[in-house]
Amino acid sequence: MELMNNVKIKSKNLNVYYGEKQALFDVNLDLNEKEVTALIGPSGCGKSTFIRCINRMNDVIDICKVSGNIEIDGVEINDKNLDVVSLRERVGMVFQKPNPFPKSIYDNISYGPKIHGKGETKSELDEIVENSLKKAALWEEVKDRLDEPGTGLSGGQQQRLCIARAISVNPEVILMDEPCSALDPIATAKIEELIDELKKTYTIVIVTHSMAQAVRVSQKTGFFHLGKLIEVGKTEKIFKNPDNKMTQDYITGRFG
Amino acid sequence: MNFVLIFLITIFSLSLFFYGRSKTKSIAIEKNIKLNALPKFYGYYLVLWCSIPSLVFLLIWSLFEPVIVKSIIIETAANQGAIFNDKNEANLIYEKIKAIHLGTYFGDIDNILRESALAYAKFINLFTNSKVVLIFAIVIVSVIYSLKKINKNNKARDDVEIILKGLLFVSSLIAILTTLGIIFSLLFESIKFFSVINIFDYLFGTNWSPQRAFVRDASSITAAEFEELKDAFGFIPLIAGTTFIAFIAMLVAVPIGLFSGIYMAEYASLKIRRISKPIIEILAGIPTVVYGFFAALTVGPFFRQIGENFGLTVSSESALAAGLIMGIMIIPYVSSLSDDVINSVPQSLRDGSYAIGATKSETIKKVVIPAALPGIIGSILLAVSRAIGETMIVVMAAGLAANLTINPLESTTTITTQIVMILVGDQEFDSPKTQSAFALGLTLFIATLILNYIAQRAVKKYREKYD
Ligand SMILES: Nc1ncnc2c1ncn2[C@@H]1O[C@H](COP(=O)(O)OP(=O)(O)OP(=O)(O)O)[C@@H](O)[C@H]1O
Ligand SMILES: [Mg+2]
Repeated sequence: MELMNNVKIKSKNLNVYYGEKQALFDVNLDLNEKEVTALIGPSGCGKSTFIRCINRMNDVIDICKVSGNIEIDGVEINDKNLDVVSLRERVGMVFQKPNPFPKSIYDNISYGPKIHGKGETKSELDEIVENSLKKAALWEEVKDRLDEPGTGLSGGQQQRLCIARAISVNPEVILMDEPCSALDPIATAKIEELIDELKKTYTIVIVTHSMAQAVRVSQKTGFFHLGKLIEVGKTEKIFKNPDNKMTQDYITGRFG
Repeated sequence: MNFVLIFLITIFSLSLFFYGRSKTKSIAIEKNIKLNALPKFYGYYLVLWCSIPSLVFLLIWSLFEPVIVKSIIIETAANQGAIFNDKNEANLIYEKIKAIHLGTYFGDIDNILRESALAYAKFINLFTNSKVVLIFAIVIVSVIYSLKKINKNNKARDDVEIILKGLLFVSSLIAILTTLGIIFSLLFESIKFFSVINIFDYLFGTNWSPQRAFVRDASSITAAEFEELKDAFGFIPLIAGTTFIAFIAMLVAVPIGLFSGIYMAEYASLKIRRISKPIIEILAGIPTVVYGFFAALTVGPFFRQIGENFGLTVSSESALAAGLIMGIMIIPYVSSLSDDVINSVPQSLRDGSYAIGATKSETIKKVVIPAALPGIIGSILLAVSRAIGETMIVVMAAGLAANLTINPLESTTTITTQIVMILVGDQEFDSPKTQSAFALGLTLFIATLILNYIAQRAVKKYREKYD
């Protein structure tokens, strides 16, 4: 058996409710460090709900209640007293639809560092901006127009800008919720390449509806159905010979 | 009479609707054919044909009847030997004749008047009878025509659509034409004014005292009078007072309105929103005259009292009181407009900000407000244009003297107040004083037009960005 990386994030008996409606049922899922984990499953099965637990974005939704445990590096994060601000500094997120702020490209990237008090001087900030954009493979395209609005970029560029924004505060984990669903194949390929590169430094969780993408970018795959984690394992195994009949049906496109 | 006619036409048309609908339905079933339109369209078709021609006729008739009757009666009276020198006297006699006919005239009735009143009664009778007959004729003709047209080939649906489109078009035409009419009358009167008073004397003069313009008729003005008039219509004190009071109002309304808008959009729970939004909107529904006497009777004297305690002389009609109350009046506009604008900032932007660790207030300050800024500025400009056009509060609370001052404790006056002052009481329509009201109105109109235009562009630009 091949050696797996350390477990970075561990969920134990995670249950999530939107008001009366339960969206996740006893999810136990381990995510490994410096690895890409893909979450797949039919629409409405709770993938987004799960990753939003990892950076506590569900706090924003009034009716959402989370019970159970999520640990990052062995520290419980589903805890009232936990400082959400520093959690989100460690766990960045990229959304389905690119959502750059209506500010300049530069300000989009420097936003996070400024909030967390990183980059005291202008030159430090400049460096952070440059590094983040370079890591997001966007630097070459925008270096001459950093003061133009981020909303003026193409969809694929905007999404890389959002990735750069997530990277800018130097997180440990990056959550991506269908980051390519609004992009064309070329932009998608760029982002996938980028994910491959980023996994050397970051732990990445990606929600995707594309089986091919899951195979291409991830090492581990979890299959959700109706709020339950049906099966999880190495990506190769899940897609070659899954244990569960439902997984089999889903990846072969027989339902979903 | 007209009401009875309208009532009858309505009832008849409505019953035709049911008739037309059921008739076409039964035809369709009986002969087993597919109609060109749903039966109810044939119903509408009959209704429209029955009501529109007759109602239009009634309208036109009612517009012209009084004019025609009047000219005929005046003519008859003249033939009877009535003497009148000009139009006014003729009108007077006509009114008398009408009053006699109605039995509400208590003066002496001489022969001429009596004869004329009888003639009047005769004409009115004749006109009414022919009106009724004609309307019935029209209804019958149009109903027969339209009933004939109800058959399977008739495209009732298309005809109904065309007629409805026409009706809507006429309505909007009326709206546009009346607006244009108002603008042109403003324009023409202002041009008359500016033919007497130099436009630069008006725009840059610092003294406003139209009561000096005792000249009755602009056409017979002497050189001396002209000199006198020349600096009686200086616009500067008015625009200064207007902007000053609007400025005070915005000092009150912008922070409070904006903050309450932010609270409503970002913090208030659904429950609080549900209760407090209507309350804020009630503020917008209070008639401005109520604000006005609140300003004049409560706030003004209150400031005066406080001022006295500090040894200050505060005029009981002060710019401060008027501006303050006007600001309170405007709060709901700023608040609900900025609430809307902030609400329409996409949630995804907030999520992006939260996800990177920003707190709620940081997100609001650094992402939401900047994103909403054009819209917020637009809503503030709209509020400013309301403040400038607001009349009642300033008439009641700001004072009448056109002081050129920046002391908020003194009384000042505004464009709208002066328009009111000029137009209440007796006036000669041709005097420069009266015409100056039109010039003021035009100036005000242009100013608010520009403000609204800029505001709407700002809001629109903002909307485009997120659609
Ligand atoms: N804000 C919310 N309020 C109420 N119910 C919600 C909310 N968000 C999600 N849900 C419900 O929770 C369930 C899981 O939703 P979730 O968004 O996690 O699904 P998903 O797997 O991400 O689907 P998709 O692939 O379509 O994005 C769904 O049934 C959804 O209706
Ligand atoms: Mg989702």
